[in-house]
Amino acid sequence: MGKSTEELYSEAEKKLRQEHGRAVKQIREELKTTKQKADSSLHLKKGSKRDLTDFPKDMQVEESEEGRILTINVGPQHPGSGHFRLVVQVDGDIIVGVDPDPGYVHRGEEKMCEYRNWIQNIPHLERPMIADSCGILYPFCLACEEIANIEVPQRAKYIRVIMSEINKCIFELYWLGIYGIFLGHSTMFMWPMGDRELLIDLAEMATGARVTHAYFVPGGVRNDLPDSFKDRAIRQLDYFKHRLDQYKDIFYTNPLFLDRTEGVGILSANDAINLGVTGPVLRASGVEHDIRKVEPYDVYDQLDFQVHTMKTGDTYARAYIPYLEMYESINIIKQCLEKIPIGPVRTKLGPNPRGPAGESFKRVEAGRGEVAYYVVSDGTPKPYRVKISPPSFRQIPAMSRLLKGARLADMPAIYWSLNYWPVEADR
Amino acid sequence: MLKDLVNPSSFNVLIGKLEDAIVKAVDKPLGYAINWGRLWSLWPVHLETACCSLEFGAASGPRYDVERFGIIEAFGSLRQCDLVVVQGTVTRKMAPRLRMVYDQMPDPKYVIAMGACAITGGLYFDSYNVLPGIDGIIPVDVYVPGCPPRPETLIQGCMLLQEKIKRARLN
Repeated sequence: MGKSTEELYSEAEKKLRQEHGRAVKQIREELKTTKQKADSSLHLKKGSKRDLTDFPKDMQVEESEEGRILTINVGPQHPGSGHFRLVVQVDGDIIVGVDPDPGYVHRGEEKMCEYRNWIQNIPHLERPMIADSCGILYPFCLACEEIANIEVPQRAKYIRVIMSEINKCIFELYWLGIYGIFLGHSTMFMWPMGDRELLIDLAEMATGARVTHAYFVPGGVRNDLPDSFKDRAIRQLDYFKHRLDQYKDIFYTNPLFLDRTEGVGILSANDAINLGVTGPVLRASGVEHDIRKVEPYDVYDQLDFQVHTMKTGDTYARAYIPYLEMYESINIIKQCLEKIPIGPVRTKLGPNPRGPAGESFKRVEAGRGEVAYYVVSDGTPKPYRVKISPPSFRQIPAMSRLLKGARLADMPAIYWSLNYWPVEADR
Repeated sequence: MLKDLVNPSSFNVLIGKLEDAIVKAVDKPLGYAINWGRLWSLWPVHLETACCSLEFGAASGPRYDVERFGIIEAFGSLRQCDLVVVQGTVTRKMAPRLRMVYDQMPDPKYVIAMGACAITGGLYFDSYNVLPGIDGIIPVDVYVPGCPPRPETLIQGCMLLQEKIKRARLN
């Protein structure tokens, strides 16, 4: 006697349910293991419920005596900020409180320096600011040379100045492009980005890399300039100067740009000095301070250039000073190409260079302001301590000062005019 | 036979078989159209995690012009996006945020790990605050090596992702 159809169906159903149950169990286990994997790679506590969704209360309305205050969370995923968070309290559209929250890109550069030798430190030290990779590496090389007492050839000094000025232009064009798109001016994103590529070509010709050159080394530069560099540089700088004149027509005299920046976020000269800002932000407030003039390094004392300042201290001034400085950079590069002598470009060091025990503090003027390094050596091939003081970190106090009392819509204009780069500030 | 299949205990089996048959029938004509729509409108999230964002910016610029491939950086909501380009190092503080951004996006969503840091930790392999690769946090479709990758490399990565989408099947 065979089984009845009903029995057969019930058996089949049982089997199906078992299989289904097994599949569900398997999926659950898989999910669990993937979650554990994610947790363990995050080094989080096992079983804690707030592991991947740990996030502060972003929107909160508080009733106070003055009115309704809304807390808004800007960043780290935001079209404006980018790896940086601002907790902003607004009353209507007036900002009443700002709490900057840096540290999303803290990679421990300073600690890493301690277990790499002098030459190995070069590539990773330029990563905090690859838009201006020569500018951030320059003071490290100067400090190493002072500790180890290395004499740099004259030609290398000129090449360094040329490369650092080219990088300054590359950086400022990138900054200008992002500033344009921040204020909704798409043309001002496309033009600087396009012109930036020409200068990148120039840097690539000399160093072999687009943005991360690793070109400066203690004792000079890595290799000599190619033969046709001078002709090409002069041709492209002439074209670049012609383009810069056009930027003024389309951006700096644009009524929309003037409306959004003039008289917005005014930083007085006293405040600028007290808060410790550097670079174009300081010069826009009327303080004439440039490391290239105050404390000349390499061959800057033999070059003829001027330091631009503006008295207003508003967002427009902070956006205009880098533009004027690009003209000065062109001027400096042309002077260097005229004066550059022939000779070696690098003092040969031993295979594992080391200096005597000592310390050095060096600073240079990069695109965003003054980059300073404090390097301590204990006589071993590896540095004992490397302290980086980037300009971006110093703009944070000024940022909270300027944003308080401004309108929420002015936030992008003020934020980006301060030249704040989170990767560099967090190190 | 039909009476047996319509039996409530085996109804789910019937539905499942019907679904399979419909998907198989629709996959060829419709799947092509759907995939075509997806692959020419990849909108990346504006999420910068580190310095590779510079080369991503250059790729959106006029010389490399990644918009030719339908990749427009969406300055709007995460709900409009279907691509995360992880631009560089992901630190411990950023990792939960990256996962949260990924979770908020609607399906289908794709991930490109850009740069050595996003793949293995790169130069920062021995740093105390950097994750050794992002594949422990979110699933990765395409790895784009380089430190930072040149814009051409990024564009090639995007094209590989498009190939992958083209071959995907509906289910």
